[in-house]
Amino acid sequence: MRSALLIAFSFVLTAVVVGNAYYQKEQFYPSVVYLTKSNPSMAILYLQAFVFVILMGKLMRKIFFGQLRAAEMEHLIERSWYAVTETCLAFTVFRDDFSPKFVALFTLLLFLKCFHWLAEDRVDYMERSPVISLLFHVRVLSLIGVLGFLDLYYVNHAYYSTLLKGASVQLVFGFEYAILLTAVMMVFVKYVLHSVDLQSDNPWENKAVYLLYTELILGFFKVVLYVTFMVIMIKVHTFPLFAIRPMYLSMRSFKKALHDVIMSRRAIRNMNTLYPDATPEELQAGDNVCIICREEMVSQCKKLLCNHIFHTSCLRSWFQRQQTCPTCRMDVLRMPRPQTTQQTPAPPPQQNQQPAQPQMPNMFPGMYGMPMWAPPPPLPPRGEVPPREPPTPPQSPPSTTPPAQGQAAGAPGASAPPPPPGVGSPPLSASMAAGASAAYANPYSSMFSYMTPFAGFPQPPQNMQGLSEEELATMEGRERQNVEARIQWLRDIQALLDGAMVLINQYNTVAAQTSIPGIAVAQTTQSNYSPSSASNTTQPTNSNADKTSSQYKEKPISKEETKSNTLSSEQTNSSVDEGLSELDGAVGYTPPKEEFIPEWDDPRNEEHQDELHKIRHRRLQRFSEDNNSIKKEEDDLEMD
Amino acid sequence: MALKRITKELADLGRDPPAQCSAGPVGDDLFHWQATIMGPPESPYTGGVFFLTIHFPTDYPFKPPKVAFTTRIYHPNINSNGSICLDILRSQWSPALTISKVLLSICSLLTDPNPEDPLVPEIARVYKTDRPKYETTAKEWTSKYAM
Repeated sequence: MRSALLIAFSFVLTAVVVGNAYYQKEQFYPSVVYLTKSNPSMAILYLQAFVFVILMGKLMRKIFFGQLRAAEMEHLIERSWYAVTETCLAFTVFRDDFSPKFVALFTLLLFLKCFHWLAEDRVDYMERSPVISLLFHVRVLSLIGVLGFLDLYYVNHAYYSTLLKGASVQLVFGFEYAILLTAVMMVFVKYVLHSVDLQSDNPWENKAVYLLYTELILGFFKVVLYVTFMVIMIKVHTFPLFAIRPMYLSMRSFKKALHDVIMSRRAIRNMNTLYPDATPEELQAGDNVCIICREEMVSQCKKLLCNHIFHTSCLRSWFQRQQTCPTCRMDVLRMPRPQTTQQTPAPPPQQNQQPAQPQMPNMFPGMYGMPMWAPPPPLPPRGEVPPREPPTPPQSPPSTTPPAQGQAAGAPGASAPPPPPGVGSPPLSASMAAGASAAYANPYSSMFSYMTPFAGFPQPPQNMQGLSEEELATMEGRERQNVEARIQWLRDIQALLDGAMVLINQYNTVAAQTSIPGIAVAQTTQSNYSPSSASNTTQPTNSNADKTSSQYKEKPISKEETKSNTLSSEQTNSSVDEGLSELDGAVGYTPPKEEFIPEWDDPRNEEHQDELHKIRHRRLQRFSEDNNSIKKEEDDLEMD
Repeated sequence: MALKRITKELADLGRDPPAQCSAGPVGDDLFHWQATIMGPPESPYTGGVFFLTIHFPTDYPFKPPKVAFTTRIYHPNINSNGSICLDILRSQWSPALTISKVLLSICSLLTDPNPEDPLVPEIARVYKTDRPKYETTAKEWTSKYAM
């Protein structure tokens, strides 16, 4: 009522102003000039234009929406305030271009924005409204069409005006409309999805997935648009303060969408592979109502590791938002290996989560850090190892611990070796530790015999019959990780051995400089050091390392034999690298780093240490005897 | 999905209404409910009737409903807008929860405020330091706004 009065009042005012002008000047052109010169009349005319915009808005609302719902109105008002504030900020940035036309363009933008928001709300309403009339479809489709067309037109307009006249305010409009265009696309996709969903009686399970991905893609476009806008604006104009809030919001929502997609994919993959389908008996046994949708569960149900049963589709929808069990909040992504549910009652979830996080990269800290040449630390007492303590290479040959011990759960074992039975034993060792099943151990024992000494690994499950196909599959998957970690470890050992070899070469070079008899012979042979022999003589490497390094030791030798006699340490180094470079293609292979060659004191300082020299000479002589014959043959070949 | 589940909850509420609470849709929009909570007997709110609005999101039960007091109340975890600081209405929501469970949780929040995580720090301070004053004010507000 009051607004109607105000509108009427503004009309009357305009009529009075125009009438007054015409009365005074009596002709059209002079009266127009009079109106534009007079500030009060212009103010009234602007007011009238504003009233027209509002009336236009009301008309369009009537055409496209009918009556607005309370929630829609609330949203509209809330968002308008932000938009008005940002528009005012934009005015400050473009105060030089300030003109009525400029204000009109911003008003139009605001006007169209309002309709975009309303369209969004209206399409969201489809989901909660039981009956959608034909009129609704016609309205939404025509609205989307009109908005899309207008957005495209203005983007186009802004593009050409920027091309013709250079960067101006049109830049802002171009980007704003481009962003509105993504909003229209989102609304359209939602509309299509909801319409498809409404066609069938049953809820469409994949709708949420499509929505999530659309959100991700359009969110990405939005972020790209905003960042480009930001960069261009900073380059040609000033810092666009008014775009900060929407940019931040779109970045945040994009990040959230990305996170949701990743986490839900993981959870749903887990669900499909890890969790068993609930059997009809289990469904019959208890209250068979899915606690998510409150419907009876007949088929297509999954049982989580915490023994809670839900509809597969309900679980999937939930996992798209959070990755916990709806009933007990157990984190499904941190769930440990499958349990032998048939034999042991499911342990409480808190216990379950303890050994769940693999710490592959830190599995063998000693290999990456300093104590490479130090003797291995003493084997820690089982069960009392602090989590970061490396599982140490053993001094005794492996015999007692079955090799497959490490296979079942090597990852958690690295951080928490199985505690002594009885003392707060987690469910795993309780159900699995009593002894490795031979069936499980055998296939791996030969493959990983060199790994056996790692007593820190927990036990494999006792009884393989109790495991379902999926459980076995995941166990296998985890094995792969473990094996990869071990191979990585072996490569590190190799790098250490190569480092040792380089050192030996340095020694020899130094020895040659001091012209000690017998060294000339040694020089010819030094390159024939294999990593394993080097390690035997220079450092207390354990037998494990020897075995592994022997796999590689052939390569450096064959390369080096063709080299000349004057070997500097660099040359040796590079040739070693050549040998190693053949491994470059291997998965996870990292070339040996500089830090693997430890800093030794300059050997010249040790010259007075006669004993060391003697040992060295003896060693060199021994090698020269071994290799003299080969060398001679080589030289003959070269002569030919 | 959401509509079905809300209909079921409404039926459950009619069949087995929780103590001291009631709830139902406003008009024919099933996504907008109104609820009442009677002040629990062993709290300073006893005797008062508190109104709340409930808005269900379209993806209920995967997102929590929006619950707010419309009656003013003197409570460390409820502000003057009626917003409630309750973890199960935010991050700790689970689809296993229902409106009746949420209302019961709010009832127990009335009996045992949580001053460690306050929405109105001033009331939380009074609650911790001067319990009699808190109780008198809460009773005053209850008789002023909720009776």
